[in-house]
Amino acid sequence: MINQVLQSLPYIVPELIVTGTLCLVLLLSLMMRKKSDLLVFVAALGLFAALAVLTSQPFASACLFFKMTVIDPFSQFFKLVILFAALIVVLMSRFSDEVNQIKKSLGEYYFLVVSMTLGMMFMVSASNLLMMYLSLELTSLTSYVVVGFIKQSKNSSEASLKYLLYGAFSSGVMLYGISIIYGLTGTMELSGINQVLAQGSANTAMLLIGGIMLLVGFGYKISAVPFHFWTPDVYEGAPTTITAFLSVASKAAGFAMLMRALKIMFLDSSALEIGNEFWPLIHGIPVVEILSVLAVLTMTIGNLVALWQDNVKRLLAYSSIAQAGYMLLGLATISNEGYSAVMLYFIVYLFMNLGAFYVAMLISNTLGSENIHDYKGLGRRAPFLSVSMAVFLVSLTGIPPTAGFIGKWMIFLSLINVKMIGLAVIGVLNSVVSLYYYLRIVRNMFLHEGEKEEVAIRYPLAQQLLLLCLMVPTLYFGIFFNPLIELVQFSVQMFGIK
Amino acid sequence: MTFEQIVFYSLAVVTIFSSIMVVVQRNPVNSALYLILDFFCLGGLYLTLNAQFIAIVHILVYAGAIMVLFVFVIMLLNLGDTHKLADRLNMKKIIGIAFGLAFFVELLYLLGFGTTRSISQQSPAAPEIGTIEYIGKVLFTKFLFPFEVTSFLLLAAIIGAVILAKKKIIH
Repeated sequence: MINQVLQSLPYIVPELIVTGTLCLVLLLSLMMRKKSDLLVFVAALGLFAALAVLTSQPFASACLFFKMTVIDPFSQFFKLVILFAALIVVLMSRFSDEVNQIKKSLGEYYFLVVSMTLGMMFMVSASNLLMMYLSLELTSLTSYVVVGFIKQSKNSSEASLKYLLYGAFSSGVMLYGISIIYGLTGTMELSGINQVLAQGSANTAMLLIGGIMLLVGFGYKISAVPFHFWTPDVYEGAPTTITAFLSVASKAAGFAMLMRALKIMFLDSSALEIGNEFWPLIHGIPVVEILSVLAVLTMTIGNLVALWQDNVKRLLAYSSIAQAGYMLLGLATISNEGYSAVMLYFIVYLFMNLGAFYVAMLISNTLGSENIHDYKGLGRRAPFLSVSMAVFLVSLTGIPPTAGFIGKWMIFLSLINVKMIGLAVIGVLNSVVSLYYYLRIVRNMFLHEGEKEEVAIRYPLAQQLLLLCLMVPTLYFGIFFNPLIELVQFSVQMFGIK
Repeated sequence: MTFEQIVFYSLAVVTIFSSIMVVVQRNPVNSALYLILDFFCLGGLYLTLNAQFIAIVHILVYAGAIMVLFVFVIMLLNLGDTHKLADRLNMKKIIGIAFGLAFFVELLYLLGFGTTRSISQQSPAAPEIGTIEYIGKVLFTKFLFPFEVTSFLLLAAIIGAVILAKKKIIH
């Protein structure tokens, strides 16, 4: 018994480092209240160390802790995305006026950001419904608190409460779904559930109800459309750094969990042929249909509502709903190619979405506003910032030569390869709609004269460097994308399945 | 009737009676007291199912801690005229009654006409599975990892609660 625990430990060193970091941050904040820079340094160093250890074990593949969690290229990939996002967010927080105005509880802020990261890392490697639920709760509970972190703001508190209520409801529904699936199959391990389902003795109607309830939990985390109502308010009310973190890392973790559950639970491994594009699914569950409907709804509603938004954070919130829709398209193909396209999209999305939120944060630091009309004339006042914002927004639309184009192109290609041309067409049409609202910001920055005086805004070098770190990959991966494709094709492997 | 059946039916009757009383009582403190009785009977039912640990925890946590909190809140709120609590028949209530009836019919169907096989099956390891010893064993072997994750969940929740409690909102 103890042997298995000891054998499992070396595989979770990145998680252990993150755990150590969060304890250290908490202790340091108690001992040295005044030194907020030290906290940033410790948190960033811990996350960086975890990242370094993670990249040193790319081929690890094992089942850990009595089949509670696994380590495989798939989970390593998503942990990489999450840790990188966390690192950027910690650095962003250092520059955020919004966060730094609360001097007294900065320690708790970094503690919560790091514990959120820990929860997400557990989420992507969970191979048991119990672990999935627990890690989801760890992530959610911490995010409720950080969303409402700005004490002075009524919006922030409102967002926090809304998030809590939606979160509690959907995790309750998810738990009910888990109990139904457990009742049907007698196990909570994903692979065990797959074995029982493959025998075909489980009641299909009950399975469908349980599966849809499970989907409510995932859908809430990735803000897919019928479960997206919290997103705009929370994204608008939360500190911008947290909004950026939620929109990238939390979504990545939710997607990873959904992808794993989908593949491991419903794949019919007896009918699987090596080299086959499509995975055969266990009969009786309309997975493809449900995912397609969800994807189309998510894209279309996200894009259409975004057209009317004047607050940049709210606009980016709807845009991130729409982006989740494109990613769901990749899932609906039920093929390794679609999965790897989604994973590629996540790398790209990491840079462009964090970048867009980072620029919005810097602008609101100086202007004190997130309104799109206040962006008028910024092109002249802060040229570097405006140009990089334009790059991020063009990338989010998916226009070459930015990385966003490669991401979308791969998803649509995977759809065409499995002959889902209708869905691909809807996706392309949606991208065209999104062009309007993304370019509205760019137009305001460059083509409109500002009403106020045209004083140039200066940003410190460190802030510009971080921006450069996000902008360069957005452009670079748009042209040299082959290493990314190789990475995701390798990382799509999950433990226990070819 | 065996001894077990007598215990079960007497507990079940008291449970149903006290549950109904919780809903129909006008005075909230009386409702809360009936809820405590309800929790004790449920604890007894857990005992008959060989779930000793759950029975104890149920009484300790629900009847002990949570109910005290409930009663405190009720008394601190000082609801005053209890007659105002009874509201008129509105859409919400009608929907509630409809759902309640639907579940009741479902339950009757399940007990009376449906296959009873699925609910009468008992786990083979039933006698020892509910003991504290067994739970302790699996908690520190098979479920060690989720157990540790839970500890971090609670740590984060405590710190979150402290932050929220310290909060002052300026309008």
